[in-house]
Amino acid sequence: MRAALACACVLLVCASAECQTLQAGAVQSPTGDVKTTLASARKLITDGNAKEAIAKLQALDTSMPEVGHLLGVAFYHADDHQHAIEQLAKVRDKLPEGSTERREAVQVLGLCYYLTGKYADAVPLLEETRRWAEDNLELGYILGMAYIQTRQPDAARRELARTFGVAPESAAANLMAAQMMIRLEFEPLAEAELKRALEKDPRLPRVNYLLGQLALFRGRLDEAITLSERELAISPGDAMTWYQLGDAYLRQSRWDEAATALQKSLWINPFYSGPYVLLGRVYVKKGQPATAEGMLRHAIQYDPNNRTAHYLLGQVLQQAGRTEEAKREFDIAERLQSPGR
Amino acid sequence: MPPLTMRTSSTSLWPSAAFVIVYAILRGIAPHAQSAETKLGFSFTNVAREAGLDVTTIYGGQQSNKYLLETTGCGAAALDYDGDGWMDIFLVNGTTLEGFPKGQEPTNHLYRNKGNGTFEDVTKRAGLAASGWGQGACAGDYDNDGHEDLFVTYWGQNKLYRNTGDGTFEDVTSRAGLTQTRARWGAGCAFLDYDRDGRLDLLAANYIDLDLSTTPVPESGLCRYKGIPVACGPPGLRGGKNVLYHNRGDGTFEDVSERSGITRAKGTYGLGVSTLDFDGDGWTDVYVANDSNPSALYRNNHDGTFTDIGVGSGCAYSQDGKPQAGMGLAIGDYDRNGTMDIFKTNFAGDTSTLYANTGNGFCEDRTFSSGIGFNTRWLGWGVGFLDLDGDGWLDLFLVNGHVYPEVERIKTEAGYKQRKVVYRNLHNGRFADVTEQIGPPVTVAKAGRGAAFADFDNDGDVDVVVNNIHDPPDLFRLDRTADVHWVSLKLVGTQSNRDAIGALARVVTADGEQRQEVRGGGSYYSQNDLRLHFGLGSNRAIDRVIVRWPTGREETFTGLAIDRLHTLKEGGGAR
Repeated sequence: MRAALACACVLLVCASAECQTLQAGAVQSPTGDVKTTLASARKLITDGNAKEAIAKLQALDTSMPEVGHLLGVAFYHADDHQHAIEQLAKVRDKLPEGSTERREAVQVLGLCYYLTGKYADAVPLLEETRRWAEDNLELGYILGMAYIQTRQPDAARRELARTFGVAPESAAANLMAAQMMIRLEFEPLAEAELKRALEKDPRLPRVNYLLGQLALFRGRLDEAITLSERELAISPGDAMTWYQLGDAYLRQSRWDEAATALQKSLWINPFYSGPYVLLGRVYVKKGQPATAEGMLRHAIQYDPNNRTAHYLLGQVLQQAGRTEEAKREFDIAERLQSPGR
Repeated sequence: MPPLTMRTSSTSLWPSAAFVIVYAILRGIAPHAQSAETKLGFSFTNVAREAGLDVTTIYGGQQSNKYLLETTGCGAAALDYDGDGWMDIFLVNGTTLEGFPKGQEPTNHLYRNKGNGTFEDVTKRAGLAASGWGQGACAGDYDNDGHEDLFVTYWGQNKLYRNTGDGTFEDVTSRAGLTQTRARWGAGCAFLDYDRDGRLDLLAANYIDLDLSTTPVPESGLCRYKGIPVACGPPGLRGGKNVLYHNRGDGTFEDVSERSGITRAKGTYGLGVSTLDFDGDGWTDVYVANDSNPSALYRNNHDGTFTDIGVGSGCAYSQDGKPQAGMGLAIGDYDRNGTMDIFKTNFAGDTSTLYANTGNGFCEDRTFSSGIGFNTRWLGWGVGFLDLDGDGWLDLFLVNGHVYPEVERIKTEAGYKQRKVVYRNLHNGRFADVTEQIGPPVTVAKAGRGAAFADFDNDGDVDVVVNNIHDPPDLFRLDRTADVHWVSLKLVGTQSNRDAIGALARVVTADGEQRQEVRGGGSYYSQNDLRLHFGLGSNRAIDRVIVRWPTGREETFTGLAIDRLHTLKEGGGAR
């Protein structure tokens, strides 16, 4: 995320050496020495030496808007968003209206607010940036995400529709907004978007699948099965939907139906590890440990860093009394464990 | 073996459920509750205010929290500190980052059960008016003098209180050798006799090695929940290591954490702690619910050491092999197959986890097949297995509340204050969520944390006391409305530790056998009733009770009457 945003900033405001010269030249009040330092600091930032730039700029009078502005930009590039906000909030209104410096300050301040989770503060600044960077995709994406974070689904849908090139009032726009809402774990908002998409176009692919995914996440298993089946009626060749259907059956302890759905998923896409893992669990439950072991080893073959597969394989081996092999798998699973909720 | 003397009668001194129903109907209220009771065979009434439990638990900021320290809240302990046969209540209290003027700090509270439905706050008289970042509490008679002692965990320094037997406690932390060399974040705790020497040892989980000066704050932007800056952790913060203290028998303890293998758990961030005999070998094992990490199942190796077998036995992760945010624990034989199963509460957006003990050294995750997998909205803390309707099958009671007060800003979340969840055991391996059917008081939202399960009115069923954050506690009195029978057992060790923690009782009736253990710790940060309570359904006779004492000795008691509490003494038979 950080890399993408930094990239967006450079793309919008300062993509070239000309821009650096222009900005340094546009500063009116600083003396020649200050101008030289500003130009040199700008180059350091562009070259990826933001911390050195900060040191240089802090030696100047940071109450000067031009210095404070570039110092804020340097802090942003040094991942010190809090100090960037402090600097840029102070100088933004002191920079000439319509100047490149002002635009950069607004944009970087908006990004810093976004990165520190202050989405409500970020939105008006990103909207202001949007006015002079209408076609910038990265900005559209960030603004769309900020609208979701501030729970403005209509604005998010419009912005993301533009980003993904679909009509803003179309079912596809609802689908795209929902997809991003799921990514950000705003499931109730996503569910509403998906239902609106279905009202507009009941046969739009992926909508029933995502609704099924949300139902599965909430443990509403009958609903997940129905929705997955609806999706398959539209897209019978969608391996992920067969996989989801198998998952729902598995959670209902319907081993045979789960195995059938998962096998179909694998016939369509034999290279995805997920169905092998679930089949491993199905065959454990069906009392076929050798088949389960085979499935889990397939999963590991296609996805060596699949922690669940290693963990389940460890369990199968442990229960078979192959403790040394089991220990090895548990150790791998433990190494692959990533903390976090 | 002659019949044993009961300690208390089955007559409750609290207003009966029947009276409450009639009164409600006369007043034209609560028809819903009445019909629910008829179907369910039990009802809950929150009697906290009438009972005199009225002190608010203070814990961190109310609107927002800077550190995770402000989120964990406090536990509760049920103990009979004065030996009068009525379970008293100890509620841990906390503080805030700003602190309080001297003399105005919130303190822990001990409430003496007066036996008439009310409690008396005896905190100061008992010498328990301590303040600080209180966490959990567990009770046990560590010096075998017949008086329940108390251990309280803190972020800072844990405290051991010896019950002097005259209604007061003395802080013996230092004298007992429990002074820590640095501040630690003590969490759940449990007394246990892991080496079968007849003396209670002590295990305390440690959550995070917290240093406020280096912990990121929400304003850093590093830590968000659904877009909102929140307190950071536990991922990214150094996890604590659990501690085990061996009771030397002279009033002091020795830290054997390293030597016993307790520090070599796979995971960290320990919260809830409970003893259990997982493998049925008669030696006390321990389960620790870890947050964001694989939980620990410490198998007792019979030689003073433990091995964490949680991962290998399938009792540590979700069924997908993912670590969950373990909080509270309930242990019980919910499927009546003779083994102790494990129920663990977790974070919102996840299910709680039901690990069925298969009896061959493994857990089978039955979260979905038992019918509880649909509940993902709630963030669980205290939890207990209890037989609500007295049918001989263990039901479940879960206490909930979000970690972050900031979730109030998210309308789609369940909120900071959350209702309870009650599951009824359907006798076929499945549970039904009957929370809405019960209605108030269990559907009233609170920021619940610790919960202790005990029969406070000595009517043979198990009531629940809940320690809420920024609210007074709840005391849910359970009343059975169905025509069922019960028996309660108080086990007293003579060769074993006096509390008989680690003992297993098997009650055999015409329709089979029920098993319960006397356990240290339990729930979230709490101590449950050390007495055992069995619902007998329509059984009018008990064939026999078989007790396996913590020493391993087994005794059979016959001729026990139903609908009363029996005190069973090790080797002494009837008393």
